[in-house]
Amino acid sequence: MKLNKMFSSLMIEKKGEPVSWFVRLTNILILVLLFYGLFSFGFSRLSYTFRWGSVWKYRNNLIDGFIMTILLSLASLVLSVLLGFLFAIAQKSRILLIRYFSRAYIEVIRGTPLLVQILMFFYVIANAAGLNNRYIAGVLIMSIFASAYIAEIIRAGIDGVGSTQLETARSIGLTKQQTYRHIVFPQVITGVLPPMAGQLASLIKDSSLLSIIAIKEFTMAAREVNANTFSTLESYIPLAIGYLILTLPISYVTKKLERRYFYET
Amino acid sequence: MRLKIDKLTKSYGDLTVLDKLDLEIKDINSLVLIGPSGGGKTTLLRLLAGLEQPDSGSIIVNDHNLDCTEEELLTYRRDVGMVYQAYNLFPHLDALENIMLPLVHAQQIPKKEAREQALSLLERFNLAEHAFKKPVALSGGQQQRIAICRAVAIKPEILFFDEPTSALDPEYTSEVLDLIEELREDTMELILVTHEMGFAHNAADHVLFISDGGIIAQGPPSELFEQTKNERVKRFFDKVLKYN
Ligand SMILES: Nc1ncnc2c1ncn2[C@@H]1O[C@H](COP(=O)(O)OP(=O)(O)OP(=O)(O)O)[C@@H](O)[C@H]1O
Ligand SMILES: [Mg+2]
Repeated sequence: MKLNKMFSSLMIEKKGEPVSWFVRLTNILILVLLFYGLFSFGFSRLSYTFRWGSVWKYRNNLIDGFIMTILLSLASLVLSVLLGFLFAIAQKSRILLIRYFSRAYIEVIRGTPLLVQILMFFYVIANAAGLNNRYIAGVLIMSIFASAYIAEIIRAGIDGVGSTQLETARSIGLTKQQTYRHIVFPQVITGVLPPMAGQLASLIKDSSLLSIIAIKEFTMAAREVNANTFSTLESYIPLAIGYLILTLPISYVTKKLERRYFYET
Repeated sequence: MRLKIDKLTKSYGDLTVLDKLDLEIKDINSLVLIGPSGGGKTTLLRLLAGLEQPDSGSIIVNDHNLDCTEEELLTYRRDVGMVYQAYNLFPHLDALENIMLPLVHAQQIPKKEAREQALSLLERFNLAEHAFKKPVALSGGQQQRIAICRAVAIKPEILFFDEPTSALDPEYTSEVLDLIEELREDTMELILVTHEMGFAHNAADHVLFISDGGIIAQGPPSELFEQTKNERVKRFFDKVLKYN
């Protein structure tokens, strides 16, 4: 009876009551212990001895790769937002060729694996165009890839501004351009910020595929360290943690933005 | 106001909503359109407000011939005001910004001046305390009164309303109607579609009964409401007045 009560007060959220710090910490601690137990059991069966020393010598490779991943992702984000905007608007164009092209672009990019796109772009298109810098090629590929998703996010944002608002803007006597500038875009921007932040997190993880064209980003760095030290887990565990360090804050900010937007509309 | 409509026809696909409609009126201040749902009231109002082009026929409103290009219609729309059923306000702007937007961007009034005009208008209609609220934070009635302020702010030649109270909770209806009544007493020229028969009776100088693609009956409200001989109109009144 007593145990039962203690269990429920520690483990179960009561409706309408804030969860106290003590209860939160207890639960987090239990989870950490569970995972720790699980992993140490797994490793004990593997009889794996960790040798962090050899990997520590290559720490600069990992740090350089980490920074390269951040730079690649940020550059790709900026470019893909620009491209995404263009393709979102192109889908509303009255010139059919432009509209069909952007539709096809979005469908093809979203419907094929990134791996294939990287190989095709790098070995066929970039090669033919005489683009030799693999870092620029990498940013271009990631931007093209992400822009198709961002175009859809922005298009949904534009469609979300209802037809009654467009009619109202017309009745006020705003021109088409003024309507986009003062009515549609301001609302699209607040609306697409949360999915855009999510897109950045995806970019960071997806950019790991660029290692196949020998771009020295984070994942590539970990692979090299592994090849040099034969310490597989010691090379890849920092990799996982490094990606989490980048993506967790983004996911936190995304939640915040979503909530703010929710209250504002 | 002066209206002259000649053989006005408008269809959507196969559906002919207005069929060779003729109308000539002058020397009135407020025109009210009534009639059954789907009869074409909104369509006629939007044509008069320069939001639609007719398929054929001509419309003259005061000195404006609406048989013109889209650019000229845009200029015309800047001279008149329009208030819809609901969701008139832009949700990302507060009340003051909503009123300022057409002043600044359609009327080219300097920002500072526009702000003063908007504030004094809110003051006049007892809405000053809501100036900095976004539409979500306002009741339906308050939103609608601010939408009317926005339409009035540009000093429109004519103010159009399409059922301004029918999307509101009943408790807010009278505050909106009171505001429209106040504008009417200020001799603002009004053209409105409404299902509020009591209000139509009081506020109209002239009433049009629109149905089946044309004007079935018209006249001053006292005549149309009390002594109509038209069966179609009588049936309509029996129906809408049944629960009033
Ligand atoms: N943009 C449009 N496209 C196609 N059909 C339309 C369009 N606008 C109106 N209609 C049709 O035209 C007819 C008349 O519509 P209208 O909105 O003018 O009627 P109304 O008298 O305002 O009716 P209500 O009292 O329901 O508002 C309706 O059958 C409607 O479905
Ligand atoms: Mg209507």
